[in-house]
Amino acid sequence: MNTTMDAPNQSRIRQGRWDLAKKWAAHIPAYLILGAWSFFTLFVIVWLILSSLKTDNELFKDVWALPTQIHWDNYAKALFAVDLGRYFVNSVVVVLISVVVILVLSAPAAYILSRKQFKGSNLITLIFIAGIGIPLPLLFIPLFNIMTALSINNTLYGLGVLFVALSLPFTVYMLTGFFGSLPVELEEAAIIDGASDFQVFFQVMLPLGMPGLITAAIFNFIGLWNEYQLALVFLNDPNKSTLSLGLYSLSNGMQYTGDWVGLLAGVVIVMVPTIVLYIVLSEKMISGITMGAVKA
Amino acid sequence: MKTRKRLIALFLLPASLVYLIFFLVPAVWAFYYSFFDWSGFGQNMDFIGIKNYIELSRDPLFLLSLRNTLFILVVGGVIVFALALLLTVLVNSGVRGKKFFRAMIFLPNVIATIALTTLWAFVYNPTFGLLNSFFKVIGWQPGATFMFTSMDHIFYAMLVALIWIEVGFYLVLLMAGMDKIPLEYYEAAKIEGANEWQMFTGITVPLLWDVISVGTVLYTIFALKVFEFPYAFTQIQPPTTIYTVGMYLYIEGFGKRDPIYRLGYATAIGVVLLLCVILVVWLLRRLMRREVIQY
Repeated sequence: MNTTMDAPNQSRIRQGRWDLAKKWAAHIPAYLILGAWSFFTLFVIVWLILSSLKTDNELFKDVWALPTQIHWDNYAKALFAVDLGRYFVNSVVVVLISVVVILVLSAPAAYILSRKQFKGSNLITLIFIAGIGIPLPLLFIPLFNIMTALSINNTLYGLGVLFVALSLPFTVYMLTGFFGSLPVELEEAAIIDGASDFQVFFQVMLPLGMPGLITAAIFNFIGLWNEYQLALVFLNDPNKSTLSLGLYSLSNGMQYTGDWVGLLAGVVIVMVPTIVLYIVLSEKMISGITMGAVKA
Repeated sequence: MKTRKRLIALFLLPASLVYLIFFLVPAVWAFYYSFFDWSGFGQNMDFIGIKNYIELSRDPLFLLSLRNTLFILVVGGVIVFALALLLTVLVNSGVRGKKFFRAMIFLPNVIATIALTTLWAFVYNPTFGLLNSFFKVIGWQPGATFMFTSMDHIFYAMLVALIWIEVGFYLVLLMAGMDKIPLEYYEAAKIEGANEWQMFTGITVPLLWDVISVGTVLYTIFALKVFEFPYAFTQIQPPTTIYTVGMYLYIEGFGKRDPIYRLGYATAIGVVLLLCVILVVWLLRRLMRREVIQY
């Protein structure tokens, strides 16, 4: 390449640089606004995690200061002294089992509703979807009665039943949309090969629908892990508390105990599983929102 | 044909039964309960007709809750959608790190409500809160001493936090809709000499209309039933100024620290809530309906 450039070429490069700079400059407001919003979110969460490693005295003295010494004992205290460890186990068990049951019930139903049209199937789909619009608080008192009549009130088992029932409308809606968007050729081929309906479902539909099932599972896991209103209404026994409800009680007691760093440690404990899931599977999560609402 | 019927029954019945017993039946029963004076589980129920509804129409606390809820729906909704649209356009304007920004703005949606309310308690706390100490650091006295969680301000403080969460959800929804708009439309408009605003109102909004329409329905359902976030936003005794309809229902039905157990009355509140959902969704569908644009 020539070491000395001729004048027109140089000016073209200068022009190109100028255009690039202008392009960047045009984006400055976007970067500022998006950056500020993202920074705020990131900052408060990082601040919360750092503060959970301080002592209460350090926290009150200077909220901006970094912890002088890492106090993991806040976590030990939260997990064992205030029993969040037990609540954590409760939540893991009830949420995981519920998510599995939700899928076991929803996937076959969604398969029928999206693939096996029969008289009244559209109406049934509509009734399932209508559940999305029914405000949960409306159900608190009638459900309380049903739960008491079935003697499953104030049990984790009963809470799991409610988790399943109340997650059905959205999951069926989501999966019906997802199954409906899958190509029919493979099923048809399987039927020609003499596969029964059951075989078609288990050997063609489920493997094909796996991405949708995974998304539905993550969605329900995060929603149920984070929820506390059903636990608040239907669990009275502190031993059976879920993690979210346990933290709610802990934060209510704050005005008496004043142990803010202990609460913060608890908050980090409840946040970590869903944030880790989100980091690993954010694309799947995000596609879940759009699965029903935005037509492909 | 017979195996087909068996398949339908086997696959559809379990989900339908659970849904029926633990969702539809209680929803219908709620209407029945709302006509009774009923002061506790296991207590007698006295039929009082529509007296619960008449009392509701005169109950200042209920009307305050309704006003707050409608404020979250209308004012909160306009702000949420305006911000979500703005951020969607900015994220799509050709900046680097599109996925990072989307992930960050959506992040609050995966965090437990109780974690978010604790976080905001620290942001707003008057003695060691981040906002007050931030204003102190930059030397802005009115900000440094502002009581974000006083009786008068707490509702708005809560709403700001709620908007911060919700914007991320609708951003993701709108971005997905935006990805479906062919880029050629914008290129063609640019050649014709259209400016950013003209492209936004002439291309982006009309082609996103269906997504916006679905989004407003989802937000309506969310806003009308909102309970968890405002209820946990304050500790143990929420001031009445922050009441939403969902909160008031819970408090009348189950009490705050001391039980109240006005079960018939609380259920009537739930019925009003459901009627509000139906009415607003119907209104929205009518207002937002228009010709489908094929593209």
